[in-house]
Amino acid sequence: MKRLISTLVFVTTLTVEARIKLVALPERARVVVSLNNPEATLVEEERLITLQKGVNKVDFSWRGVNIDSTSIQARMLSHGDNVTILNTSYPPNENALIWEINSNEAQEERVRISYLLSGLTREVTYKAVAEPNETALTLRNYLRLRNESGEDLSNAEIGIGYGSDFKKTIENGETLEMLSERIEALRINKILTWDAATLPWDPEYEKKTVGIPLSYVIKNDKESKLGLHTMLPGKVRIFIKTKEQPEKQGGPVGEGVAFTGEDWAQLTPVDREMKLYIGQSRDVKVTQRKTRDDRTNIRRNSGNTVVVNDTDELYKIEVENFKKQPIDLVLVEHIPGYWKMVESSHKFEKKDAFTIEYRLALPAESSGAKKTTVTFNLNRLNVQGNEPTSY
Amino acid sequence: MKAMALNVLLAIVLLAFVVLPQSAEARINVVTLPGRDAVQLTIYNSVDVTLVKETRLLTFRKGMNRLEFSWANTLIDPTSVEFRAVTHGDDVDVLDVSFPPRVTNTLEWRINSDFAGEVQVEIRYFTSGISWSADYLAEAARNEKLMNLAGHVRITNNSGEDYENAQVRLVVGVIRLVEEIAELARAGRPGPVLTASVTAPAALAFRGLVRDKISEAEEHMAKKPREIVKEGLSEYFLYTVEGRDTIPNGWSKRLPSFTAADVPVTSFYKYEREQWGDQVMRYYRFTNSTPSKLGNEPLPDGAVKAFRFVTDDKLYSFVGSTGVKYIPVNEQVDLELGRDLEVLVKPALMNWEKTDLQFDNNAEVKGWTTKESWLMEVQNSKEIDIVLDIRRNLSGDWSVETEASNEKIDATKIKFVLPLKPRQKQTFSYTVTTRHGTNATR
Repeated sequence: MKRLISTLVFVTTLTVEARIKLVALPERARVVVSLNNPEATLVEEERLITLQKGVNKVDFSWRGVNIDSTSIQARMLSHGDNVTILNTSYPPNENALIWEINSNEAQEERVRISYLLSGLTREVTYKAVAEPNETALTLRNYLRLRNESGEDLSNAEIGIGYGSDFKKTIENGETLEMLSERIEALRINKILTWDAATLPWDPEYEKKTVGIPLSYVIKNDKESKLGLHTMLPGKVRIFIKTKEQPEKQGGPVGEGVAFTGEDWAQLTPVDREMKLYIGQSRDVKVTQRKTRDDRTNIRRNSGNTVVVNDTDELYKIEVENFKKQPIDLVLVEHIPGYWKMVESSHKFEKKDAFTIEYRLALPAESSGAKKTTVTFNLNRLNVQGNEPTSY
Repeated sequence: MKAMALNVLLAIVLLAFVVLPQSAEARINVVTLPGRDAVQLTIYNSVDVTLVKETRLLTFRKGMNRLEFSWANTLIDPTSVEFRAVTHGDDVDVLDVSFPPRVTNTLEWRINSDFAGEVQVEIRYFTSGISWSADYLAEAARNEKLMNLAGHVRITNNSGEDYENAQVRLVVGVIRLVEEIAELARAGRPGPVLTASVTAPAALAFRGLVRDKISEAEEHMAKKPREIVKEGLSEYFLYTVEGRDTIPNGWSKRLPSFTAADVPVTSFYKYEREQWGDQVMRYYRFTNSTPSKLGNEPLPDGAVKAFRFVTDDKLYSFVGSTGVKYIPVNEQVDLELGRDLEVLVKPALMNWEKTDLQFDNNAEVKGWTTKESWLMEVQNSKEIDIVLDIRRNLSGDWSVETEASNEKIDATKIKFVLPLKPRQKQTFSYTVTTRHGTNATR
C-alpha cells in the first residue's frame, strides 16, 4: 500500500510536525481505471470515511507512485449536499494534501478520489490467422497493460474507451495481456502494390528477383463484422493456417499455422481501410517502359532556349503472374504537374492530382503470351520543369 | 515543535539607544513586543509582489518614541515599509526612519507623539514569495452540450513568514514593477543590492500566543467554503476571500472560488495544417456571460482540467488539461484539450492546372495562372454532435470557388465550419485559382 488516506483527529496547528497522521486507514471500496485517453491514465477510487460533525481534516498522501498532484480531487457520493470540502492544503516537501471537510452530521461518507497516474500504460496488439485461401481471417485484438505505477490495482474496473469495462487485478511491475475482441471470418483483400516511384521498372537489370509488396486490407465496417470503434495502432502478426503431417502414418492430418509477416497497424476510423504490408510476392513480375517521350508545342525565348513545352508520353506496363492462383495487383503511377490523359487501355482511378492507380485482377498463370499489358498515353502541359509532384 | 516562521518583529525601544556599536545584540532592548492584531495580504499573480498590511496596537509615551521593525529571513522589500497611525493620527508624527549600520533587515522609526496611550498603527510593506494562481475543473455532460465549471484559487506562501489569520485579497491584473521585489529584499536595506550575502541576525520568536484562539475561531466559522467576493478596480479585479486564513510558510492552500452548473458548451474541433499538422484539435467552447451561467467576473488565467461524465454514477473520462488565458466578461473561450483521433480531416489535391501563360518581349514566361481542386473528407467517429472548423491558408492573388459555405478570414485564410452529427461523414470541395507574375492583379 503506497497511498494513504487518513482522517486527522487531533490537529492543533498547521505545522508539519503537528499533523498527526492516521487513526483509521479506510479501505478502498472500488477502483476504476480509465485508459481511454492515451495521454493520461485516470484512476478513481472510492473509500468509506467516517466523518465527525463539524470540520474534519482528511489527509491524502502517496509515496513511490507518480500522481499528478494538481489532478487530485474528491467527490462526496453519499451525502453530497451536507458534506462540503472547504479547502485543500498542501504541506511543504511532501506528497500529500489535506482536505478540510465540513459535515453536518456524524456520518460515514463514500468519497470518490480521482487523479492522473503515470506509469500505467497500454498497448494494443493484433494476431490474425488467415484461411489458406487468404480471403478471410480470424482477428484477435489484445490489450496489454503494463503497470509500472508503483501501485497494486486489485479488482480494478478497467475501461479502454470501447467495449465493456472489465475487472482485473494488476500488481505493480506486472504486465497483463487480455483478449479484448475476437472476430471470426473477417473478410480480407489480398493485394499486391507495385509503385512506379519505388520499384525498378525493368527487372531484367536487377540482380535479385524484385519482390512486390503484399498487403492484406481489412475494412473497419459492419460488413467485415467490425465498424464499432476506431481501430487503434499496434503491431499485427499474421499467420496462415497450414495442414500438418499426421503424428503417425495414416493418422488424421493435423492443423497448424505458419507466420506470414507482421506490420504496424495504423489508426483506422470506422469505414476506413487498414492496409497491412506483410511481405513480398516474387511470383509476379512487372516491367514498365516509357515507349514515347516527345516534346511538343515548344516555346522558346529570344535566346532560343526552350522555356515551355508540352509532352506526349506513352507508357507500357507488362505484368506476369506465375502463380497458380489469380491475384489483385495495384499499379501506382506518379504524374507531376498539369497533365491530361489521352488514352488508357484500362480504367484507372485518380487518387490525387499527381497519382493514378490501376487495379488489375491478374488471372492465374498469366505469363508469357497470357500476360496483362497496360498502356497509357498522356500529355503534360505547359511544362517549365518546376511543377509540383506532391502537396 | 519547530519554531514557527514568524520573523517580522516590531519592538518598542524604551531605553535610550545603548551604544555598543560593534554588536547587533545591543539593539535588542525590547520590553514590549506587540503582536499583530490583523494582517491583510493583497497578492498579485502577474508579478511576484504582495502588499502586506498589518495593524498593531501600540502604547506610546508622550514625546519621542523609538520603534524598531525587523524582518530577518523574510523576503520583505525594505524600501516599501511604511508606518501610519490609524488612531490619533494628528498626534503621532514620524520624524525619520533609520536603517542602522551593521545590521540588515531592521529599521527604526523615531516618532513624536503628543498623546500618551494606545494607538492603533498600520504597517505596510511589500514582500515577495507569496503567489496565487487560479485553476478550473470542467465536468462535461455525456453529450458535451453542458458542463459544470468550478474555479479555485491556490495561494502559496514561500515568503519566509507565517502570516496568521490573514485576510487574503487576490488581484487579477497586470501591474508593472521596475525592480524585482526579491532583489530589493536581498539588499536588506534601501540602496544598491548587495552581492555578498549578509548573515542576518537570528530573529526572536516571541510569538505564537494567540495560536490556539485562532484555530478555534477557524473551526467555528468554517461551516461552508469561504465565499470569494469579487470587485472591479481600475483595470484590475480584486478577489477578497471571506474570513481569515493562515497559510504557514512553505504551504499552499486551495479554496473554491465559484461553481457554475449547466454552462452551455460546444464540442468544437479545429483543423489547420499550418498550426497543428494533420491532427484535429479538440476544444470546449463557452462564453463567460450571464446567459451561460457565468459572467459575474472575468476569469483569471490558470490551468484547466476537463473531464466528461461517462456513466450514470458520474465516473469520469479524462478529456484533457490545458491552460486558459484571462477571460473578460462576455468573451468566448476555446479550451484547447489536445488532439483527438476520433475526428478526421483529410484534404486531397485532386487536380492541378497551369494555364494562361503570358510572355514578355524576350519570350520568357512572365505570367501564369494555377488552378487547384481540393477534396476535403471529414469524419466524426464520435457518438456526439460536434462542430468542425477547418482553416485553409492561401497565398498570392487567389480566388476560391466552392458550393460549401465558407468565410474569408483575411487576405490569406478561409474557413469552413461544419456541424457534424454522431458518426457522420462528409466531403466538400473547393477550387483555388491563383494568378502569378503579371497575371496577378494584387
